[in-house]
Amino acid sequence: MKKRFAHETALLALLFALLAYAKFTEPKFLALDTQRKLLEELWELALISIPMTLIILTGGIDLSVGSAMGLCAVVMGMSFQRGYPPALCALLALVAGLAAGALNGFFITRVKVHPLLVTLATLAAFRGVAEGMSGGASVEGFVETFKLLRDPVPALIFVAFVAIAAWFLNAAPGGVWLRAIGFNETSARFSGLPVDRLKLRLYALSGLAAGVAAVLYAARFNTAKADIGDGKELEAVTAVVLGGTSIFGGRGHVFGTVLGLLLIHETREFVKWHWSNEYIAIVLGVLLILSVLMNRFLGDGES
Amino acid sequence: MRLLERVVPVVLLGLAIAGCGSNPPAETSNSSGPAPASTSPASGEKITIALLPKQKGIAYFTSCAKGAEEAAKELGDVELIYDGPTDGKAEKAASMIDQWVLKGVSAIAVSPNDPQVLAPAMKSAKEKGIKVLTWDADGDKAGRDWFVNQATAEQIGNALVDTLAKDIGGKGKVAIITATLTAANQNEWMKYMNIRLKKYPGMTLVATKPSNENQKIAFTATQDLMKAYPDLKGVFAISSAAFPGAAEAIKQSGNNGKVMVTGLSTPNDMKAYVKGGTVKSVILWNTVDLGYLAVQAAHAAVKGDLRTGAKTFKAGRLGEKKIAGDNVLLGDILVFTKDNIDKYDF
Repeated sequence: MKKRFAHETALLALLFALLAYAKFTEPKFLALDTQRKLLEELWELALISIPMTLIILTGGIDLSVGSAMGLCAVVMGMSFQRGYPPALCALLALVAGLAAGALNGFFITRVKVHPLLVTLATLAAFRGVAEGMSGGASVEGFVETFKLLRDPVPALIFVAFVAIAAWFLNAAPGGVWLRAIGFNETSARFSGLPVDRLKLRLYALSGLAAGVAAVLYAARFNTAKADIGDGKELEAVTAVVLGGTSIFGGRGHVFGTVLGLLLIHETREFVKWHWSNEYIAIVLGVLLILSVLMNRFLGDGES
Repeated sequence: MRLLERVVPVVLLGLAIAGCGSNPPAETSNSSGPAPASTSPASGEKITIALLPKQKGIAYFTSCAKGAEEAAKELGDVELIYDGPTDGKAEKAASMIDQWVLKGVSAIAVSPNDPQVLAPAMKSAKEKGIKVLTWDADGDKAGRDWFVNQATAEQIGNALVDTLAKDIGGKGKVAIITATLTAANQNEWMKYMNIRLKKYPGMTLVATKPSNENQKIAFTATQDLMKAYPDLKGVFAISSAAFPGAAEAIKQSGNNGKVMVTGLSTPNDMKAYVKGGTVKSVILWNTVDLGYLAVQAAHAAVKGDLRTGAKTFKAGRLGEKKIAGDNVLLGDILVFTKDNIDKYDF
C-alpha cells in the first residue's frame, strides 16, 4: 500500500511543479475564476474515466465509450427534434447509453469474447449507427433548455461518481472482488465470485456514464451530433493509466484516476494558455513516459 | 488507513489549487516583470487580437495568417494571437475562445467551423465586452458584432459566369456541378449565376448535377454530361471537391481546351490543371488580404472606428473598405490564370 501512496505523491509532485511554473509565468492562469471556467472542459472526460478505472481494474477495457457518447447524443438530438420534453430526451440518451454498455457486457460475459475485441467492434458500430441514424446532421438549441446542467452540476455529478466508486472499492466487498478478477479471473470464478454479473454491470455503467457525458456535452455546446466524443476513449484510458492503475488489472484506484485527470487537464490547459495548442500532445507524451518511469523506480512494477 | 492514504493527496491538491488561486490580485501586479506574454489590455496601450482559423496548419489559413501578421506589424499597437485546432474540431476552437476571454483579450476574430458549437463561447465573449468578429465564414449573428466577408454570393456568382464566359468566348452549352442540391452557399451562388447568365445570351445552361462533395461523383457526372451533350463548352464546378473531379474528367477524356471548367479553389490545388491547359481560370479571393482585413477590422472595432451605419472604414494598405450592414467587405475576387498562379503559394 505504501507503493500506491508513492505513485500518488509523485503525481502530486508533478502537478505542483506545473502549477508552480504557472504561478511564475502566468499568474492569471491560477486565478480561481479561471480555474473554475477551465474545469468545464474536463467533466465529460472525467465522468467516463471513473467506470473505465473499474473496468481496467478487472483487466478489461472499454474502447467504445467515446462512440457511445455519439450514439447517446444522436438519440437525444433526434428525440429533441421530435418535440419530446427535454427531461425525456435526456433520459432516452441515458437509456441508450445503458443499453449500449449492456450490449458490450453481454458479448463479453455471455459470448465470452475479449473486451478489447468487443469494444473495438462497438467503437466502430456505435459511431456507425449514430451517423446512420442522424445522416450526419446536427440538432441545435440545447443551451437554453438545459440551463440547469450548467456550471456546478457536472462537477457535482462527478464527485458523486467518485464517491460511489470509492465506496464500492473500499467499503463494499466489491473492491476486493474487482481486484481479484483483475489478478486472476479463473481463480476468482472458482472462489465463487459473481464475475459475470459484476462485469456486465460495469460495462453497462460505462455506457451510462457515456450517456451522462453526452447530455452534458450537448448542454455545453448547444449541439447534438454523431461525432461527439471522438477519441475520448483513449483520453480516458490515458487518465486511468497515468493515475497508476495497472493496464493488466488488479492494481489501482479511482483516486489515482482523479489525480491523473487533473494532471492531464492542467497540463493541457496550461500548454494551450502559455504556448500553443499543437504542443499539448508532446507535453502529454512526456508526462506519460515520466509516469511509466516513475512506476518503474517506485517498484510498482508491470504497467 | 487505506482510505486516509488516498484522501490525503486529494485534499492536499485541493488546498494547492485554492492556495495558488486565492491571491491573484497581488500576483497580477508584478506580472509585467517576468511574464512578457502578459495579455491584459490594461498593460500599456497594446490591443490583443485573437485570430481563430477553422483549422490551423492548412495552406489556406496559413496565408491568411501572413496577412494578419502584416496588419499587426503595421498597426504597431496590436499583439496578435493566431491559434486554432490543428484537427479542425469546433469543440477545441470553443475552448480556445473561452481561454482568450479569461486572458482578457480585446477582440476575437473567428472563422467558425461549426457555428452552433461555437455560438455559446462567442456569445459569452461578447457579453464580457470583448469585440467578437467572424471572418471567412459567418457564425451565429447573436454572438458577433461584425462579419469580415471575403465575397458576397452575388460577387461569386458574377465572377463565375464572367470568367467562364471569357474562357469560352461567350457562347455555347454550359452545365453546373454543385455540392449537394441543398447546399446553402452553392444555391445562393447559383441564384446570382442564373441572373448573370442573362447577360450572355449565347450561353445556355443545360444541366445542374450534384457531386455530394465527392470527387469521384463529380468525375462521373462530368463524364456523363460530356456524353449527353457532345457540344458542351463549359462547366461550373462550384465546390472544392467538384472542381478537381470535373477537371480530371475533362483531362482524361482528351477534351483539354474543348470543354472549359472553372470554379473556386486554392491556386496550389489547381496549379497542375492550369499549367496542363484543362483549366484557364481559378476563382478565389486574396487570402493574405482577408487575414489583413480581419485584423484591421478587429482593431477598428476595439478603437471604435468601426461604427454601425458607416459606409466605409479605412483598412491600412487596402484603403477604404465598404461596409454593408454589419458586414465588412473585402470586395475583390481574384482570378488565377497561368500568367499569375505561380505568384501565389497557398
